[in-house]
Amino acid sequence: MRGRLALAGFVVLVIVAAIAFVIFLTRSGPTVPTSGDLDAQALAIERQLLCPQCTNERLDVCTLAICNDMKSLIRSRLEAGAPPDDIVLYFRNRYGDRILRQIPREGFNLVLFGWVGGSLALVALAGGAFLYRLRRPAAARPAADDTGSPADEHWLDAEIEREP
Amino acid sequence: MNLLATLGAAAVLTAFAAALFAVGASVYGLRAGHLRAQLAARRAIPAIAGLLTLAIALLGYALLTNDFSIAHVASVSSREMEPRFKWASLYSGQPGSLLFWTWTMSLFLAAFVRLSVPRLPWCAPHAVATAGAVLAAFLFALAFFASPFRVSAYLPADGVGLNPLLVDPGMLIHPPFLLSGLVSTSVPFTLGAAVLLAGRMDGTWLRHARAWALVSFLVLSVGNMLGGWWAYTVLGWGGYWGWDPVENSAILPLLPMIAFLHTLMVQERRGMLKLWNLVLVEASFALAVFGTFNVRSGLVSSVHSFAQSEIGPYFLVLVGLTVIASLVLITWRMPGLRADVELESLASRETGMLLNSYVMTAIALVVLGATLFPVFSELFDGSRITVSPPFYNDVVGPLLIALLALMALGVVLPWRGTARGTLLRRLRAPAIFVVAAMLALAALGMRDRFALAGTGAAIALGFVTTREYVLGTRGLRRATGRPWFAAFAALFARDQRRYGGYMVHLGIAVMAVAVIGSNIYQQQTRAAVAPGESFQVGAYTLTYNRLFAERPGRNGIEVEVKADVTVRRGDDVVATLEPGRRTFTNFPQQPVAIVAIDGSFTRDLYVFMQGWDESLTAEFQAFLNPLVRWLWLGGAIYVLGTRVALAPRRAPERAAVLAPDGALERV
Repeated sequence: MRGRLALAGFVVLVIVAAIAFVIFLTRSGPTVPTSGDLDAQALAIERQLLCPQCTNERLDVCTLAICNDMKSLIRSRLEAGAPPDDIVLYFRNRYGDRILRQIPREGFNLVLFGWVGGSLALVALAGGAFLYRLRRPAAARPAADDTGSPADEHWLDAEIEREP
Repeated sequence: MNLLATLGAAAVLTAFAAALFAVGASVYGLRAGHLRAQLAARRAIPAIAGLLTLAIALLGYALLTNDFSIAHVASVSSREMEPRFKWASLYSGQPGSLLFWTWTMSLFLAAFVRLSVPRLPWCAPHAVATAGAVLAAFLFALAFFASPFRVSAYLPADGVGLNPLLVDPGMLIHPPFLLSGLVSTSVPFTLGAAVLLAGRMDGTWLRHARAWALVSFLVLSVGNMLGGWWAYTVLGWGGYWGWDPVENSAILPLLPMIAFLHTLMVQERRGMLKLWNLVLVEASFALAVFGTFNVRSGLVSSVHSFAQSEIGPYFLVLVGLTVIASLVLITWRMPGLRADVELESLASRETGMLLNSYVMTAIALVVLGATLFPVFSELFDGSRITVSPPFYNDVVGPLLIALLALMALGVVLPWRGTARGTLLRRLRAPAIFVVAAMLALAALGMRDRFALAGTGAAIALGFVTTREYVLGTRGLRRATGRPWFAAFAALFARDQRRYGGYMVHLGIAVMAVAVIGSNIYQQQTRAAVAPGESFQVGAYTLTYNRLFAERPGRNGIEVEVKADVTVRRGDDVVATLEPGRRTFTNFPQQPVAIVAIDGSFTRDLYVFMQGWDESLTAEFQAFLNPLVRWLWLGGAIYVLGTRVALAPRRAPERAAVLAPDGALERV
C-alpha cells in the first residue's frame, strides 16, 4: 500500500513537470501582424530583436545609432513589402543568433533545453526517491513537536462543516 | 602619506587578523577545552564588525571631503555630487561594494554571535570558527586584491563621478538592501555548518535558523523588489524584471531560503527533512557567493555590472570551496540525518511543503543553467548567446504557476494527512470558486492559457488563504463572543507565524496577478511627433506640447531635456507628463531616460522619450501597463506578513489554547 502511494506521488510529480515542460515546448513564439499598421509591424519585429551592442536590451527601446539604423531598415523593408520573417532572418544572418530575443531551439542551444529537461527529471527522480524513503518505516520514535496542530486542524474542519 | 587611507587599510588588515584569530582560538579552545580561548574567539567577531564600521566611516569621510587621492573616491565621486549620492558612491565600484558587503556580513555575524551563539553552547565554537572563516575569506580579498583605500599615484582635481544609471534616489536604498540580503544568508549557513561540525542533528538549531532565515528572506526580498522598482522607473524599457544575469544572481539564494522556511516546519513538527534543510541553507549561501562572483567577474555580461574586476576567479574558488565543504560535511553526518518518523500520508502538508521545495529547486537549477549558458555557448560553440526574458517566461513561467498551485494546495492539506472525505470537503469550495472565476475570465476575453492558468492558481491561493482568516476569525468569535475585528486581531496574537505566513502568501497571489496582467496585456506605441501633434496609446491621447531643457548643476548632470506632454482620455485632461533624457558631463555616451509615469490601480501610463531632431520632432515610446501598482501593493503585503511572521514561536502550553473548548479565554 505504502509503495503504491509513493509511486502515485512520484507519478504526480513527473506529470506536473511534464505538463510544465510540454506547455513550454508548445508555446508559440511572438507573432508579427502581416498586415495593417506599419508601425505596429515594425515594433513587433523590433521586439523580437536585441541591440547588437548593449547587453540584453530590446531593439525597440535602445537609442544607440546602430539600433536607430536597424529600425529604419526594418521600416524600409516593410514598406518594400518584405515579410516579417525575412527581415528577422536578415538580421540573424548578419549578426548571428545573439541578435534574437527568442533563443533558437537548435544546434548547441539544445544543450540549454536539455539542461531544463534534465533539471526537471533530476528533481523529479531524486525527489521521488526521497519521498519514497520517507514513506518507509523509520525508528519508532515520537514526532518532534506535534503540539497545537491537530486541534487547530480539527477546528478548521468544524468551521468548514458549518459552511452552507 | 594619506593618514585616512592608512588607517582604513590598517582597520581592514586588523579585521582580517581578527578573523584568523577567531578560527584559530575556536579550534584550539574546542580541542583543548579552553573556555577562555573560546570566549576570546567569540569576542573577535564583534571586534571585526567594529573595525569594519571604522573602515566604512573613514571611506565615507573621504568621499564627503573629496579626498581624490584615494583611487576609489576619485573613480566614483565628484565635487558637485550631493552628499546623499556620495553614500551611494561608497558601495558602487568593486572595492567599495566589497567593503560594504563584508561590513554588513560582519554586522550580521556579530549579531548572530551576540544573540544566538550563547544559546547554542553545544555548537558555539563551531559557529564562531565558521563565522571567522567566512569573514576571513572576504577580508582576504578586501585587504589584498580590492582595497578601497588604495592611494593613487597622482591627485586628480576632480573625480569621475557616479555611473549615470546609479544617480537615482532608488540607489540610496536598493543596493544596501540587496547586498545585506545576500550576505545575511551567511548566518543560516554558519549555523548549519556548525550543526554539522558539532554533530548534534536534532532540531534545536532550527528556532534560531528560522529567525535568521526570515530576516534574510525579508531583506533579500525587499532588495529585489526595490531593484524591480528601480528598473521600472529608471531603465526606461517599460518593465521591472529583465531576467538579467545579475538579477538572477539576486533571486537564486532566495529560492532555497524560501524552501527552507517551509521545510524547517516539517522538521520542527515531524522530525523529518533534516538532511534537506541543511542542504537548503548551505545552497543558499553558496548561491549568494556565486552571485558575488557573477557580478564581479564580468564572465556573464549584464547591464548591472558596475563592479567588475580581476578578482572574479577568487570568488569562483570560494563558491567551489563552499560547495565542497558543505557536501563533505553533509556526507560525513548523513547517518544522523535520518527522519524520526515516517510520512503518514502523501496528502499531507509535509508532502505539500516538500513538493514546493522541489519546484523551488527546479527553478533554481533552470535559472542557474540559463544564467551561465552564454559562457558555455561561447566556450564550446564560439557564439555568445543571450538568454532573454522569453526563454525564462516560457520555462520558469509554468514552474511558477505550479508553485502557486502547490502553495494553495499546501494551505488546504492538513499536517499528517486526513480522511479522504474531509480533504474533499476542504477542496470543494476553492475548486468551485476557481473554476467559476476562470470561466468568468475566459468569458470576459482572457484567452492566453498562461494568463488563465496563472490567474487561476493565484485566485486559488488567494481564496484558500483568505478562507483561513475568515474561518479562524469566525471560530474565535463564536468561541469568545468577541467582535469581528477583535477576533481577527486575536487570530494573529494566537499564531503570528502561521497568519503572518499566510499574509506573505496573499501578497504573492496579488503580485502574481499583477505580473501576469502587466506582462501579457501590456500595450506599446511608438510615435515621432512635432510640437502640437498627438498620438494614441489605448484609450489615451498624448499631445506633445514643447521641448525644454534644465541644467540642475549637480551630480554630474550636464543637461536634462524634457518634453511637456498632456494626456487626455476623451476630452478630459488626465495628467501632464515630462519624459526626457539626462546627459552627464563625464559620461556623454551614456544618456539616461527620464521616465514619466501616470499611475493608477488599473494601469500605469509609462512614457519615455527616445530622442529628438533639429525641428524638435521627438520620438516617444508609451506603454499601458495594467495592474503594476498591485505589484508594489502585493510586495508591501508580503513584507508586512514577513514582519508579522518574525514573531518567536509560542511555547506548547500556550499553543494548547487553540482547541475550541472554551480554553481560549486563557490567551
